[in-house]
Amino acid sequence: MTTWRGARLREALRLYVITDRALARGRPDIEIARAAIAGGATALQLRWKSGPLSEALQIGRALRALCREAGVLFVVNDRVDLALALEADGVHVGVSDLPVPEVRKLVGEAMVVGFSPETLEQALQAEAVGADYLGVGPVYPTTTKPDAGPAVGLDHLAQIAGAVGIPVVGIGGITAANAAAVIRAGAVGVAVISAVVGAENVREAARQLRAVVDRALAARSA
Amino acid sequence: MRVPQLHLVTDPEVCPFDRLLDLLPVLVAAGVDAVHLRAPDRAAGDLLAVALAARRLVMPPAVLLVNDRIDVALLSEADGVQLPERGLPPEGARRLLGHGRLVGCSVHSVTAAERAAQAGADFLLFGNVFETASKPGRGAAGLQALQAVTRAVPCPVIAIGGITPERVPAVLAAGAHGVAVIRGILAAADQVAAVHAFRAALDRVEGA
Repeated sequence: MTTWRGARLREALRLYVITDRALARGRPDIEIARAAIAGGATALQLRWKSGPLSEALQIGRALRALCREAGVLFVVNDRVDLALALEADGVHVGVSDLPVPEVRKLVGEAMVVGFSPETLEQALQAEAVGADYLGVGPVYPTTTKPDAGPAVGLDHLAQIAGAVGIPVVGIGGITAANAAAVIRAGAVGVAVISAVVGAENVREAARQLRAVVDRALAARSA
Repeated sequence: MRVPQLHLVTDPEVCPFDRLLDLLPVLVAAGVDAVHLRAPDRAAGDLLAVALAARRLVMPPAVLLVNDRIDVALLSEADGVQLPERGLPPEGARRLLGHGRLVGCSVHSVTAAERAAQAGADFLLFGNVFETASKPGRGAAGLQALQAVTRAVPCPVIAIGGITPERVPAVLAAGAHGVAVIRGILAAADQVAAVHAFRAALDRVEGA
């Protein structure tokens, strides 16, 4: 298995789309994913919070194949066993999920491990124990994750991005209208749910976001 | 690997985990020979912490099984997993767990039982056989349905749902290998006495 860890990861985090059954409004995950990738998504996360895991496995297999074909990073949220069963490229955990060192024990060296810190200390700690990237947020207010807590803002993201060496993506309430500021604050990309999955035209929504991110990254390195 | 006969299934709503960890040594000493850690609403971090603590308390010949989460089972060095009917399939679980660990599957029909047995489950948990407060509003499957399952599959079947020591003989007569209990033990006024009563009922039939 080729690894996404290292230099390749930064590029793969530009536009990170997370699946959400409720926001998809009946459209199958695989269709949403295909449209998002056509629009420029560079990473796709399977997030499965309720419903039978056998179904997640089935949908995950289709997403796995699609991402492999498209050269898109495929990540599974929370369930390391599902990530292993699907031979995902990565797994993403939060502070109440399995701890990063334990996750690393299970997935070995090739798989990407992402972490969502709530504090700067947690961010530094996660980097020290082998996290490959961080998802920081909610940057802006969001309704997708009722448990996500109040928006932490761009300053918090900038503080973490400035303190760690691993790439950081912003998450939470990000749209094409406010994504550039997230990149300017130091993120290598943006993670979105509703802005893409909930869009009428998923492909177009992804294309616009990707363009904003690319432009902001180019401006930052210029 | 031997399939246990008296399974204790945990439920943090009935018995909080800190209290459960206090109780486990005496319950295992009294005759519980399988402990299923089950907490579908808890985050994996919490479940792992409980599993690691339980691992030090549940010693052979008793086994520790983790419900649903194979990752937590691996990290806590549990003896196996208990898969929901619509969880990861037994083949997949076995691949991740390796050999020498128990893979149990929960089933609610003959069809699901046959599928799980064919896929390599070491044992099945079938229920709810009787009405139970743990599954409110769900009708009892009954002893006949239990018998249909035990006749349909070659692997041991454990009966769950409203099992009492008094019902053990009928359950075993229907072909069950053993029983799984939540409230019958955890909600009992004297949990150790409850375990003794279940154990005595199981051993009586076995010795008969």
